[in-house]
Amino acid sequence: MPDTLAHPVRFGSNAGQPVTRRDGIAKVTGTATFTADNSPENLLHAVYVPATIARGRVTHLDVAAAEAHPGVTMVMTPGNRPALQGDPSAKPTMFSFRIEVLQDDSVRYAGQPIALVLGETLEAATEGARLLNPRYAAEPARTRIDDDEAAPVEPGGFGRPAGVEHGDVAAGHAAATKAIDVTYETSAQYHNAMETHAVVAQWEGDKLSLDVPSQALLMSCAGYAYFFGIPAENVTIRAPYLGGGFGSKAIPTGPQVLAILAAKETGRPVKLMLTRQQMFGPVGHRGATRQRLRLGIDDGAALTVIDHEGLAATSSFDDFVEPAANASQGLYAAGALRSAHRAVRLDVGTPGPMRAPGEASGSAALECAMDEMAEAAGIDPLEFRLRNYAETEPGTGKPYSSKALRECYMQGAERFGWSGRPLLPRQMKDENGLLTGWGMGTALFPCPMFAADARATLRSDGSALVETSAIDMGQGAWTALAQIAADSLGLPLDMVEFRAGHSSLPDGGVAGGSGHTATAGGALHAAGGDVIRQLGEIAAADPESPLHGAGNAAFSARDGRLYVDGDDSRSDSFADILARAGSAELVGNGSASRAPEDAEKFSMHSHGAVFAEVKVDPDLCQVRVTRMVGAFAAGRIINPKLAESQLLGGMIWGISFALHEEAKHDPRTGRIVNADFAGYHVPVNADVTGLEVLTVHEDDPYVNALGIKGVGEIGIVGSVGAIANAIWHATGHRIRRFPIRIEDLLTA
Amino acid sequence: MSLSIRLTINGAPRDIALEDARVTLLDLLRERLALPGTKKGCDRGQCGACTVIVNGKRVNSCLTLAATLDGAQVTTIEGLATGDRLHPVQEAFIEQDGFQCGYCTPGQIMSAVGLIAEGRAGDDPERIREGMSGNICRCAAYHGITLAVQEATRRMAEAEKGDAA
Amino acid sequence: MSYLTPKSTEEALALLGQAGADVLAGGTDFFPSRGTRPQTRSILDLGQIDSLRGIEKTARGWRIGAMTTWSQIQRADLPPAFDALKRAAREVGSVQIQNRGTIAGNLCNASPAADGVPPLLALNAEVEIGSPGATRRVALSDFVTGVRRVALSPGELVLAVHVPSLPDDAVSHFLKLGSRRYLVISIAMTAAVLELDGPRIATARVAVGACSPVAQRLPGLEAALVGLTAAEVAALPVVPETHLAPLAPIADVRGSAAYRMRAVADLCRRTVIAAMTGGTTDE
Repeated sequence: MPDTLAHPVRFGSNAGQPVTRRDGIAKVTGTATFTADNSPENLLHAVYVPATIARGRVTHLDVAAAEAHPGVTMVMTPGNRPALQGDPSAKPTMFSFRIEVLQDDSVRYAGQPIALVLGETLEAATEGARLLNPRYAAEPARTRIDDDEAAPVEPGGFGRPAGVEHGDVAAGHAAATKAIDVTYETSAQYHNAMETHAVVAQWEGDKLSLDVPSQALLMSCAGYAYFFGIPAENVTIRAPYLGGGFGSKAIPTGPQVLAILAAKETGRPVKLMLTRQQMFGPVGHRGATRQRLRLGIDDGAALTVIDHEGLAATSSFDDFVEPAANASQGLYAAGALRSAHRAVRLDVGTPGPMRAPGEASGSAALECAMDEMAEAAGIDPLEFRLRNYAETEPGTGKPYSSKALRECYMQGAERFGWSGRPLLPRQMKDENGLLTGWGMGTALFPCPMFAADARATLRSDGSALVETSAIDMGQGAWTALAQIAADSLGLPLDMVEFRAGHSSLPDGGVAGGSGHTATAGGALHAAGGDVIRQLGEIAAADPESPLHGAGNAAFSARDGRLYVDGDDSRSDSFADILARAGSAELVGNGSASRAPEDAEKFSMHSHGAVFAEVKVDPDLCQVRVTRMVGAFAAGRIINPKLAESQLLGGMIWGISFALHEEAKHDPRTGRIVNADFAGYHVPVNADVTGLEVLTVHEDDPYVNALGIKGVGEIGIVGSVGAIANAIWHATGHRIRRFPIRIEDLLTA
Repeated sequence: MSLSIRLTINGAPRDIALEDARVTLLDLLRERLALPGTKKGCDRGQCGACTVIVNGKRVNSCLTLAATLDGAQVTTIEGLATGDRLHPVQEAFIEQDGFQCGYCTPGQIMSAVGLIAEGRAGDDPERIREGMSGNICRCAAYHGITLAVQEATRRMAEAEKGDAA
Repeated sequence: MSYLTPKSTEEALALLGQAGADVLAGGTDFFPSRGTRPQTRSILDLGQIDSLRGIEKTARGWRIGAMTTWSQIQRADLPPAFDALKRAAREVGSVQIQNRGTIAGNLCNASPAADGVPPLLALNAEVEIGSPGATRRVALSDFVTGVRRVALSPGELVLAVHVPSLPDDAVSHFLKLGSRRYLVISIAMTAAVLELDGPRIATARVAVGACSPVAQRLPGLEAALVGLTAAEVAALPVVPETHLAPLAPIADVRGSAAYRMRAVADLCRRTVIAAMTGGTTDE
């Protein structure tokens, strides 16, 4: 038996079920309240002016014209901005970026806020912002990755990844009988959650109430508190629903801080909602990369070396270097491994974590390189991956806490029909003459845990209230976490009231890294267990209870009753136990984080295999993804319906990465020329057809008490490479730049 | 300047004084009439999050100046259910998991209601995908959305047959 | 700034003459095209002028009212020569846009990628323009003069689009190339209107959008198509210098110039063949 479990986990009647979303009715009736849906009395609307140059200074703003516009109540510029208590360049919490809050007249990237206008109506504030008509002293913008400007990354925590080296890399290169040396490029991508960043701020004395979408409520409270010189407990955040996050909503941003400052200055509530165009600037993005991969194999097609160098764009004033090269280090059994990161400073907003940061970009390059290596070896890409299957973690030799990747390969390939695939490219055409190709990629994602607390309260009627400041940004926390909590208490789901999304609740931690269900769920599981433990003690000590004297015997809870383990004839109902004890309620607390000794001992990862079919018009070179099968092993799945939705969404992000997403800069001004949904393409409904997800069961006794690994990000990981490899298989062309444009294929 | 218009919103007539002709239907609903169920995703007609039904047709409320609508019938997400009874499209979206974060959902659902009323897609998934392509979902719940529209179309057709019989 | 709602074209023209105003038709490009410019002028809303809506058969052809929406065009009972226009109508933004966006709005915005322009060029459409006390007609090819520029004088309004009569058996088709399946600004688009003589092309009118500042007819290609069967069209080598001469594609975020030229040659062939063979009409 595993040594991490104090009590064996019962697979309850709730977890594992495809329960429909508990917030479903609120979301389909329009009553789910997102940040900008709040309109307190006496509200002012804030609109900020984004810079239209990427480097230089603002030399003039027509403040008088804006102030003269009816309904405009205030124009905030660097000249009159009230003081902040915190330093905009400081990093008050673990995940922080330097922010732009009108601290001076400099412009560091296009889209940076250069003034804020307040109005009695949104229309007045919008028009006031238009009337400011800024003038600039512009300097040439740097928006292209240039090798010559690259500098090594000084490793140091968030955003500054260390490289990895295992084994003798020079020997690995020397031992190769076949080798490839290829460079892949990925483009800047912007999260573009459907809900743009927003805030509704209200001050009462030195107490601040915020409606703000946040992937980390308590950390955000601390972040905002820092800028205003107040204790973190003076900040309250309500965020019951997030209209998507994808990594962009964990951290306070400059525009939000400015709106809070405006509320403080005016003594009135202020609402700010970014426009879609403003989402391309101060709220993070996935930085562009250029990745060189050198792979070698011996005569048996065993990898002798994976040597991966990543070059990533970051901003001129802060560090977030996409840890792309590290994505290749945990996957294949190579004789030697090396990763290294360099950065180029550009006149862009600071990049940040975006769904599968590092893994998405790194895997795109790695999986394509693996395909190229398989081609050089003359063997099937799946067979090549199986020959290099890692039974223990490459480099470290650590055992995996669990790894059902082989089953993912087999089940995915079977479902897709991979076995009929011709080895050579350009062999398949469909009935309409479209070139058809099949490709695959492996998916790997770590399963981190953060720290979270939770509280469970059993009420005298046998129902329960469970609480944690968890975040639902679409992944289904309202549902999956409630399922976990219900099982921990031995109650049917409808007997459990779940409160989340508010900073006054026990700290639910961070919704990120695909670790929220494991972490917040672990805390809820522990809190429920604490209630049951106390309940058992009360019952065992109660002469009137059928459980009296059960002493050290373990209890189990189900359907609102406590049973002696292994003796169903002895049980007592929760309500009766509490009633006899004269208790109106019983409160349990729980917390969760990873046991350090397990983290040390095991490599913990989710795995998957993605198979894709594309069809390419031989003349126009239009590419359509016509079929994808993704098979994923991610530990225990709490809600298969919701997990499938997340994995499908991730795979569609893979389509988007491979074929659509790219922010393009005007080289002259540095502005992004496609900063809206017309120009910055993400897939629409008609682009999505024939997708299928399989989940491969894994019992993982080490990853955490619940055996959960997380499914939020892994869907994108193998998908990008699978599509690119399918395009090669259809056309014979290796396009080493993402997104793959039709013109690249035409001129290939 | 001041304009006065009359709208019937979710069945209830409303006389509305507009002090500003620049007010879009979307901002009117959200900021002045306390109907924030309709969502702003791009404010340019590029994402469909703000879709409502005006005089029986789906439109982007972000592109529709309120002043142009004097006398119009407007249905928003808040007006779709009958009391506690959900509209078949709403039910199908829940059952088929046709959303994740839920932000684009009011627009998706109103667009689906419009699509079904247009009567051209039937339950053909290709036609549904095309007809729903004016509504972007960044969570990419498209698979569930398509299934939900198919399901609701069938259910509504059956209900209609039942009524006729 | 004021908001004006004339009830007739005469009233609209009178107001336009007095005040100068931004004309609001369907409104689907009203805000997007304004960008960050302030709204200083009055808004003239044409929405209450009933005579500007609808399609009618006239002695010499068809009159499409300026405020006719793309949805109305898709559902109108029109001969096959209009299939290209109907297909284009289905590609204008999304259905939500098609329900509000108007034919005249599309023309007056004069986007190089306006979906409605190539099929109307291939239909030899004319634009009916009103001014106080007068109307005039201009060929569509003379109306759109550049990127976001049209031949409208101050005080003038587009009242209708006229399509001259065509033989009942004239056929047409429209294709649009975009990097997404739908809701996409064109990389290139082609429209063809053909009269047939048995299996052979008798006359051909082919227009291309998004490959020059203003959509263009291709007289060189049109001449080369005369007398060909569908199979011969499929084998026709398209020579850019002679067949695609008026095109001058630019590289932008949606595609490079070289790609557009190559794609256009193929799109033209496919559009013509689809028109001849009946394409796949599912409307």
